[in-house]
Amino acid sequence: MPRSEAASAPTGVIHDIGYQRYTGPRLGRGYAARSLYVHSVRTAFGIGRSGKAKVFPWFVVGIAFAVALIAVAIRSQSGTVIISYLQFPDTVGVPVLLLLAIIAPELVSRELRAQVLPLYFSRPLRRTDYALAKFSALATSVWLVFAGPQLLMFLGGAFSRTDGASGVWDEFTDLLRGVSYAAMASVIFSAIAILVASLSGRRAVAAASIVAVFLVTAPVVGVMEAVGGETARQIVPVINPVTLVEGVKTWLYGTHSIQIGDFGPAYLGIACGLVAVCTALLLARYRKVAA
Amino acid sequence: MALIETRALTKQYPRVRALDTLTVDVEPGIVGLVGANGAGKSTLIKILLGLLQPTSGEVRVLGMDPTHRSEEIRARVGYMPEHDCLPVDLVAAEFVTHMARMSGLPSTAARERASEALRHVGLYEERYRQIGGYSTGMKQRVKLAQALVHDPDLLLLDEPTNGLDPAGRDAMLALIHRIGTEFGISVVVCSHLLGEVERICDHLVAIDGGRLLRSDRISAMTVQRDILAIEVDEGTEELAARLAASGLSAQRDGRLLLVPLESDQTYDTIIGAVAALDLPLHRLDQRRHRVAELFANQPEVTHAAQ
Amino acid sequence: MNTAQPHTLPAPSDPPQPAGRSGERTVELVNVSRWYGNVVAVNDVTMTLGAGVTGLLGPNGAGKTTLLHMMSGFLPPSQGTLTVGGAPAWRNPDVYRDLGLVSERESVHGFLTAREFVTASAKMHRLPQPEAAARRAIELVEMTEAQDRRIETFSKGMRQRTRVAAALVHDPAVLLLDEPFNGMDPRQRLHMMDLLHGMGDAGRTVLFSSHILEEVEQVSGTVQVIVAGRLAASGDYRTIRRLMTHRPHVFVIRSTDDRQLAVALMNEESVGGIDLDATGLTVRAVDYGTFTRALPRIALREGIRVRALIPSDESLESVFSYLVSA
Repeated sequence: MPRSEAASAPTGVIHDIGYQRYTGPRLGRGYAARSLYVHSVRTAFGIGRSGKAKVFPWFVVGIAFAVALIAVAIRSQSGTVIISYLQFPDTVGVPVLLLLAIIAPELVSRELRAQVLPLYFSRPLRRTDYALAKFSALATSVWLVFAGPQLLMFLGGAFSRTDGASGVWDEFTDLLRGVSYAAMASVIFSAIAILVASLSGRRAVAAASIVAVFLVTAPVVGVMEAVGGETARQIVPVINPVTLVEGVKTWLYGTHSIQIGDFGPAYLGIACGLVAVCTALLLARYRKVAA
Repeated sequence: MALIETRALTKQYPRVRALDTLTVDVEPGIVGLVGANGAGKSTLIKILLGLLQPTSGEVRVLGMDPTHRSEEIRARVGYMPEHDCLPVDLVAAEFVTHMARMSGLPSTAARERASEALRHVGLYEERYRQIGGYSTGMKQRVKLAQALVHDPDLLLLDEPTNGLDPAGRDAMLALIHRIGTEFGISVVVCSHLLGEVERICDHLVAIDGGRLLRSDRISAMTVQRDILAIEVDEGTEELAARLAASGLSAQRDGRLLLVPLESDQTYDTIIGAVAALDLPLHRLDQRRHRVAELFANQPEVTHAAQ
Repeated sequence: MNTAQPHTLPAPSDPPQPAGRSGERTVELVNVSRWYGNVVAVNDVTMTLGAGVTGLLGPNGAGKTTLLHMMSGFLPPSQGTLTVGGAPAWRNPDVYRDLGLVSERESVHGFLTAREFVTASAKMHRLPQPEAAARRAIELVEMTEAQDRRIETFSKGMRQRTRVAAALVHDPAVLLLDEPFNGMDPRQRLHMMDLLHGMGDAGRTVLFSSHILEEVEQVSGTVQVIVAGRLAASGDYRTIRRLMTHRPHVFVIRSTDDRQLAVALMNEESVGGIDLDATGLTVRAVDYGTFTRALPRIALREGIRVRALIPSDESLESVFSYLVSA
């Protein structure tokens, strides 16, 4: 078929894919810090990284959910609440503490060792932003491991209630108490763990140190509980982070976890002080570290 | 506007003075920063990035003072450190994207620019692998990509060809040259290798013992001298004799004959002599000064350990 | 497996040579290969190293370090013979009398002074007068002034020189250095280069490996180029370039009339191609000998003044890249 005489000449164009300058928005420190926070939470759970990095965190998540599931199952069968929302964090305390000891080094020790910090600090992000983002990410990660299963318990619990909307509401307020306690515990534990981890570039050393810090004072508490006088028994738990948190819970939420006598405010004060001191030390650590 | 300006910049540590009243102006372009180990190059770079505070003196980067506006400066500067600084367990594309976000680029832009930066530095399918498995050359490229990803106005590259073999070095230098010329980004290259510096830089700043040794355009430091270098593949002695007979005193320098360039006539005399003797002419060239001469006659300075 | 030739081993009753003797010791490799399972690090290398300075070049992973380790007796060749001064290097402690090695990574005890460190090395070599030997070695590397300072206060170049002194203290005829200029700045490099040159001129066999071709070019014209475990070329790199007849020699010419010169040159059979641009003429000469003689004649005949003739691919860098990509 003859081509039309009026066909236009062939055209072509070379697209410019050379270097383009960036004229878009440059969001500030806040955005960078938030991005680092999100990135760190993802790192904690191994998202976006190799399979190996996912094993331990998700294993612990599995344990936590399994415990919650069991509680829900028993509750729906027999109506008994074997673990309340407030008790849940303590029940899964040990695996979660181990998780803490694993995640904290992943978040900070790794980057210390790889000497990535100069790349961060030569950007608009401030050193304090970095430290706080890491701290928040750790606390969030730990809290999620508590709160997720607690939510599951709520769903199970709410369905098994028989007293209608007000029952669900009661259940919900219980959940809130449990979740807020989990948040408090997460913050206190994370403050300690992130500080300890930031002191070493070796993950194994950091992990062991975190476990050590949490465990070293436990025997003292145990002994005092057994043989100490009443005042001693009531005050000594402050020296161990786990029992300190339990003490705060006893005072704030009116549970009867441990004996604290009238020292409730002291527990809260010490807990807050601990978080403040750890945070300050953390910031100092990152101010000083070489970039 | 000068790229970098310092006035009497000093940084004092307890036992050593890393920078000593350094005063220099650096023009935009590709700048070579040269100096002995411990001479203060890294200290200077850290001060420019606002990572270190000077003890005294003034400094301006892109017209801004790093002691007060360091965040603004860091938003416009890209830094490629000398040492290993990459996480081994991240995929390169992810890492560069993450760094882009750290520089304030919104998500989509961060991803796109990371992809582009990796393309410009020459990493293609490799970018989807973990950095841990990379060769030195590839790691250097990733370092460069993260410095480039947020479209800085100034790149600070500390020993960018460190650990690269000749082919890798070549590729990196070509890339830096492209960045400085085509992309329109000013680059400061710290290097020990004067050959490299001569090759790709427009200016040179040489620091010694914390002080300025020399700051000049490379072209000014490599001006031609009034000497011609001649190399013939054989018959050098004959040629020297012949030239002497024509009134040109030829000095032997290894395989070369050096002849003072008196006038244009000199060229003709030389070519005439070579042709008459039917010698194979290998080289005829006006000698230039070399940057290495700066360091040739200096004694080695000893420095306290960094 | 090392195929040692028993008759070249020094008999146990030979008295140890006194320090300070100099005598050339040749490092000789004959069909040396080294493999690790399926990975062949060094493949059938035959080379002879004599007095003077030789550069060992090659891309990353080409086998340079393996070769140096074999030469210094840390590894046996899987095949072939490797001798230093006629004696095998492997399982032969006596070879260390003739050999000094400065390896790439070595941590030195920072708390020792240079003198202490070098003297210790002298004692380890069981020299009869270790302090004197140490003093001589330190003088050779020009560290006499700083010898009583602790090594941790030294710059990189000084540290390197101290290690060279320690490797030289027993006056070996052969000195092997792995990436000796690593991390050195220009001044330190120049000093080290002068040192190596001096030793080469004095009759020692010096072999150093490096990535940085501009250094190698300055220190020694003699190179051994290893590519993927095979010895690609040996000798003076300019001569090597001339041997690459299948690659036209590239020259840049600047003259008073580039275009006319280009036309005239295109008539020559020795010219394979010409590029003309603002900076001058780029000529690819397929016959080096003929072209280099023809150019002056043609220029004269055409009445064109040649202001520059520059060979642009005979640098070590070009030669190396040709060898690697061949």
